Amino acid sequence: MDLLGIMLAILGAALAAGCAGAGSAIGVGIAGESGAGVMTEDPSKFGLVLLLQALPGTQGIYGLLIAFIAIMKVGLLGGGGAVSINVWQGLGVFFACLPIAIAGYYSAIAQGKTSASCIQMIAKRPEETGKAVILPAMVETYAVLALLMSIILLNGIKI
Amino acid sequence: MAVARIKKLELYVHKSIIDNVLASLQKVGVCEIISGEQGEGSVEVSTGELQELDACLSESRFLLRFFDTYYVDDVGSMARALGERPVKSLLELASLARDTDITSLAEQMRKLERRMVEIRSELSQIESLQLMLAKLKDFPYALELVSQGTETIRGVLGTIPVEQFSEWNDSLLGKAREDVEIYVAPYDDKAKETWVAAFFLKELEDEVQDICSRHNFSKIELPAGLIGMVDEENSKLTARSTELKDEEEINHRQAAAAAAKNMQTIRALSDYWSVLKSRTEVLESGEYTDQIVLLKAWVPAGSVELLKEELSQYEELVELLFSEPTNEDDPPCMLKNHKWSLPYETLTRLYGAPKYGELDPTPLLAPFFFIFFGMCLGDGGYGLVVIGFFAYFLHKYKRMPSGTKQFFKLFVLAGIATVIVGALTGGWLGDMVDAFSFLHFLKPIKDAPVVLNPMNDPMTFLGISLAFGLVQILFGLFIAFYDCLRKKDYMGAFADQGGWLLLLIGITLFCGVLTGKVPSGLGMVSKVMMSAGALILIFTQGREKKGVFRKALSGILSLYNITSYLGDFLSYSRLLALGLATSAIAMIVNMLSTLVSGIPYIGWVFAIVLFIGGHLFSVAVNVLGAFVHSLRLQYVEFFSKFYKGGGKFFTPLCYTTSFVEISEASKDI
Repeated sequence: MDLLGIMLAILGAALAAGCAGAGSAIGVGIAGESGAGVMTEDPSKFGLVLLLQALPGTQGIYGLLIAFIAIMKVGLLGGGGAVSINVWQGLGVFFACLPIAIAGYYSAIAQGKTSASCIQMIAKRPEETGKAVILPAMVETYAVLALLMSIILLNGIKI
Repeated sequence: MAVARIKKLELYVHKSIIDNVLASLQKVGVCEIISGEQGEGSVEVSTGELQELDACLSESRFLLRFFDTYYVDDVGSMARALGERPVKSLLELASLARDTDITSLAEQMRKLERRMVEIRSELSQIESLQLMLAKLKDFPYALELVSQGTETIRGVLGTIPVEQFSEWNDSLLGKAREDVEIYVAPYDDKAKETWVAAFFLKELEDEVQDICSRHNFSKIELPAGLIGMVDEENSKLTARSTELKDEEEINHRQAAAAAAKNMQTIRALSDYWSVLKSRTEVLESGEYTDQIVLLKAWVPAGSVELLKEELSQYEELVELLFSEPTNEDDPPCMLKNHKWSLPYETLTRLYGAPKYGELDPTPLLAPFFFIFFGMCLGDGGYGLVVIGFFAYFLHKYKRMPSGTKQFFKLFVLAGIATVIVGALTGGWLGDMVDAFSFLHFLKPIKDAPVVLNPMNDPMTFLGISLAFGLVQILFGLFIAFYDCLRKKDYMGAFADQGGWLLLLIGITLFCGVLTGKVPSGLGMVSKVMMSAGALILIFTQGREKKGVFRKALSGILSLYNITSYLGDFLSYSRLLALGLATSAIAMIVNMLSTLVSGIPYIGWVFAIVLFIGGHLFSVAVNVLGAFVHSLRLQYVEFFSKFYKGGGKFFTPLCYTTSFVEISEASKDI
């Protein structure tokens, strides 16, 4: 069993969960600050604000997902014991984790800012909620695409 | 498919019955009054009444806000929003309004509120005084010395940084040893500041102040009322604070009792007055002569008969004139959908109304949203949870407002789609059947309808997602094509939409031939379509520009738009990504549950908690994602082809209430 290969795969999983999660935490935080401001004026907007605040949280989940798939791929989860992989396969898993790690981090922050602005928007114009939910979702597209690529890449690596 | 036809109504009413007619209009709720410029004479009619109503409304708003803290509601605010409201008739409300003296009640409550604020501020003052007195526990003199002084002696009290204390002490005593006395409160080694007081002859006041300000002494003013010894004053304050707290308690109970007694009434009345207000405001948009009031309104063509019937009781005192809206008019739009597409109307509403006479996109997006939501969530078990959740609310709150009801129905439908997709892909709470050995007996049933497992074969599922995308994009272009034909804009139909349709279908066929999915005999056809489409676009897209060169340039550049179609097309890959995310998260929850169930003796408890909690979390997150993303595909990728929005919704004069239901209201508009 090649330890370096396994370790590279773990590094990939750690980055996927860590970076995307950190991005989501920042994004949700930004949106939450804005939401708290709006709710001091009108506490009844809690439901809508919560919805918009939750939107940048998905990147963290995508990252966690890829991390799980990656460590399952090398047999660290599921009770079967680690499978034997070489350095190149480990490096492959590591690379496959990068799209969601990078795009997850930055898109979550950008989405958080958009969400924050949209929360301000529904404070002034509650009737435009539909549009306010769509604008952050535009940003999330790129996290979804990165997730897709990470899944396809991980799926493609033969172990 | 188009929105409901709207007629323009000119309503001539004799002045004597205008109030009754307006009440009837509000009752049927099918007229949106067109507010024009203020007609002459309208002001005198309504202002007095409006002011009175506004006054009542503002009193009731104050009472609602004040009572809200003390009122224990037996119906939650959510249940009320879902339709659990008492039913009242306008007559009942009117007599209620006559019997209630809201001004004096509001006056009483204002007084109570003011007193409560006073008590609270006095209490906090006492608290801070007591904190200070606690520091001066062994102060040897009556506080009078500091707070008022005597004929010859003055005192100052304050805090001073510990390291400056001795210097301050020395300089004060150095000044006049006999005429100054100093008190220091005990302090420990860690303290940065200490309480000190100095007493001196009146004549020395300026000098003492000078010394104090040089040593960072910060003076504390004592209220003049504190005159006795510290202990004495302290117990006086405690007594006062108990007294105040008792009074506060009594006030609280009074407020709670008043709230319990009056809350329902005030709520009903606040609704009653807002109903009256919206009715009275209409008077401002009327045009007046000596005898007659003219009101203009929009009425859906389908409700004209209903309106005539309702107004027939006034016989010749009213006159109705209906006409078709002209080009200068900007009629509101009312969506009219069949029962099957009605729930999807919510989605169109979220985006914005179509202009009058434009297409209503609701039935067009309905099947796509249904399928896309199913694919994004894509798990039979989660689908059942969604159906159960929303069906429960639909069942429990039968009197839900129709908008909310349709929204809930939308989710029930979406849940059904999810169950179908889940059955076809074999996802029931992820891989639950395979993950837990005691469920293996279900495997044959689960496997029977499965056609594809996206976890094992994501590329095929990606193909399906993109194919749906292609279909929707072409469908959108086709609707735009049809819409242009409908408006007799043949250039727009054949040049813009037709060109792109030919080009995109050509490219699709060509790719199909290349990959061998389409018989190669169509290769020639596809090339012809592609070239024809491209040529049409090159020759027509510059038609607004002047000069041959500019025409050609913008024609050729328009082909660059192919990238935006490519972007739209690839955007549908999110269907696969979100579907995979759901099944992967569910699978992970199952796996973790299996892992912890291995813990001896109590493992199964953790496993059950983890299983239920994990899947509930997963449902919540994934339903949100599935909803937002399948909605986005409609708004961004689909609507951009043919739908502009930009209209306004029909908002009739009717009973708009938040706390009670008016029994005269007609049930469906």
